[in-house]
Amino acid sequence: MDRTPVTILTGFLGAGKTTLLNRILTEEHGLRIAVIENEYGEVGIDHELVINADEEIFEMNNGCICCTVRGDLIRILGNLMKRREKFDLILIETTGLADPGPVVQTFFADDEMKEKLFVNAVVTLVDAKHILLHLDDSSEAREQIAFADVILLNKCDLVSSSDLDAIELRIRSMNALAKIHRTTNAGIEILKILDVGGFNLDHAMEVDPHFLEGHHHHHNDDVSSVGIEADGDCDGKKLNDWLSKVIREQGADIFRMKGVFAISGQADRIIFQGVHMIMDAANGGPWGGRPRRNRLVFIGRNLDREELNSAFRSCLS
Amino acid sequence: MKQIGSVRADDNILHLAWNGDLLAATPVTGEILVLDLVTRDVRGHPGHGLGNGDSAWFDGRLATCGFDGRVRWSGRELHAGRGMIERVKASGDGKLLAAGQGKSLLVFDREGNPAQGLAGLPAAIADFAWNGSSQVAVVGAGGARMWELGQDEPFARFDWGGASLRVEWSSCGRWLATADQTASVHIYDFTRDYPLHIQGFDSKVRAMTFSADGRKLATGGAPIVTVWPCTGKNGPEGATPVQLEGHDGDVSAAAFSPVTGKLATGDGTGCILILTFDGDRVLRKRLRLDSGISSLAWHAKKEWLGVGMEDGIVAVLSLES
Repeated sequence: MDRTPVTILTGFLGAGKTTLLNRILTEEHGLRIAVIENEYGEVGIDHELVINADEEIFEMNNGCICCTVRGDLIRILGNLMKRREKFDLILIETTGLADPGPVVQTFFADDEMKEKLFVNAVVTLVDAKHILLHLDDSSEAREQIAFADVILLNKCDLVSSSDLDAIELRIRSMNALAKIHRTTNAGIEILKILDVGGFNLDHAMEVDPHFLEGHHHHHNDDVSSVGIEADGDCDGKKLNDWLSKVIREQGADIFRMKGVFAISGQADRIIFQGVHMIMDAANGGPWGGRPRRNRLVFIGRNLDREELNSAFRSCLS
Repeated sequence: MKQIGSVRADDNILHLAWNGDLLAATPVTGEILVLDLVTRDVRGHPGHGLGNGDSAWFDGRLATCGFDGRVRWSGRELHAGRGMIERVKASGDGKLLAAGQGKSLLVFDREGNPAQGLAGLPAAIADFAWNGSSQVAVVGAGGARMWELGQDEPFARFDWGGASLRVEWSSCGRWLATADQTASVHIYDFTRDYPLHIQGFDSKVRAMTFSADGRKLATGGAPIVTVWPCTGKNGPEGATPVQLEGHDGDVSAAAFSPVTGKLATGDGTGCILILTFDGDRVLRKRLRLDSGISSLAWHAKKEWLGVGMEDGIVAVLSLES
């Protein structure tokens, strides 16, 4: 069954989410999009395709200490998925102060959601003028960047080019995987954020070929990215044991994990991704002509780069 | 068994509700239809935009709600807000109508005026159930709260670390059952102030219903239907439930007949089981329809079964001999 893509829109208060939402709802892009926004959002949007949700956090009580999901989303999306007339895409707006974790985890932790929907992208709007203040003061702002697949560095007209470079560097040190677009008035070709195509580590490599090398340490943020790259095959059991240990012991601090693995005895690529203590692996298809190179990225808080690298290498056969 | 009526709605049927020989069918989107089984007339009520909630008969007229944040009844809008409204239900004595919106339970009297509801609840209302005319149980994140309307504090509650999505209150008033976000149910015994947490289901419980006398609770989610005994001192605790096979897909709807006590269950493949309880034996009749079963409701006084399907068709089957 084809799964419907979901785009999650985050961003701190005043970053431009409502401007972007209005553009998405009014521009001609040929897509039928349902928008789930917050009843108590910054600015209400009246539109026939907008549903107002209440941010309703459910603890999963499933043994995973940090696993929460959005109960309102499960019920709204469950209803939308029953419709005869399907949507091309569902867009979920979170409030400016929200932790994106429960929204993202909803699509990993609930069986019905996993079966019918997939996360196309987490899009985070960043107010270029004020983001440095927010990063220093707000764990939510840091987490919104950590969860992002796409970042719109917005209000660029209010900031000098050199300052934008510095901001981008700091964002990159926190989230090495996200694609960053510089925008003014959230002006971007809509398909660049609506048609991201889900998890794509190759795409991330196009963004910054050296993103895995860990050269982006310019600030003492508690949130950072650790990239690991190694040729050769992994021992499947060792890898599984290690990843299980990592999420068990550090899952609460890991916002996202993404990886492509070469496993001994398996011809195809194995792709995996995770949110906090939930991880999901799938066959990523053949390697084609590419070398069997393992690539893995953790985005999280207080990550130990050396330890993670060393532990991963011990999983190689 | 024969089909004695049918109607087609625009979309998957979410909910069916009888009022005498009138059957209201609420589809996911589009007009809410009322089929008159006597005259064969069909009347449409306006839908609620992107998604309808459920519908309830109140003072002889249909009340509807939905994602547009509105409650409509008797040609009037009783409430228009921004937050979605998924449930609207009339009290047992038919004097009050309630609708859950966010952390508030809106309550209206027969004149359509706001009555004493609940506001500022600790969690958004996922579902609620009436007991008689003044008691309401609300469920959501963290468990269930049972309120006497007009009081400042709930008179009973149970807390747990997860969330409950659906709630049913037995007509005898003793039992409250919740279907949870995880694959579990809670069965709360008011006589003992005791919540029994039953886990181990193969999937989330999607269908749950008490028998009219409150002595049985049926649950379904996976292809197996489980019927729990709610009798004796401890009810289901320590008892062996009846587990019934025969479905081809996950059970999506269940309803006990108030007339015969038969249990009807439906699954996503279009299979319906009619289960007759005869002492320790359970007799099973199986039929297959063309679309997945999404809703089932028995007539209050006749052996008529309303069947709502995923393709928008509503069929009324008579089991009268």
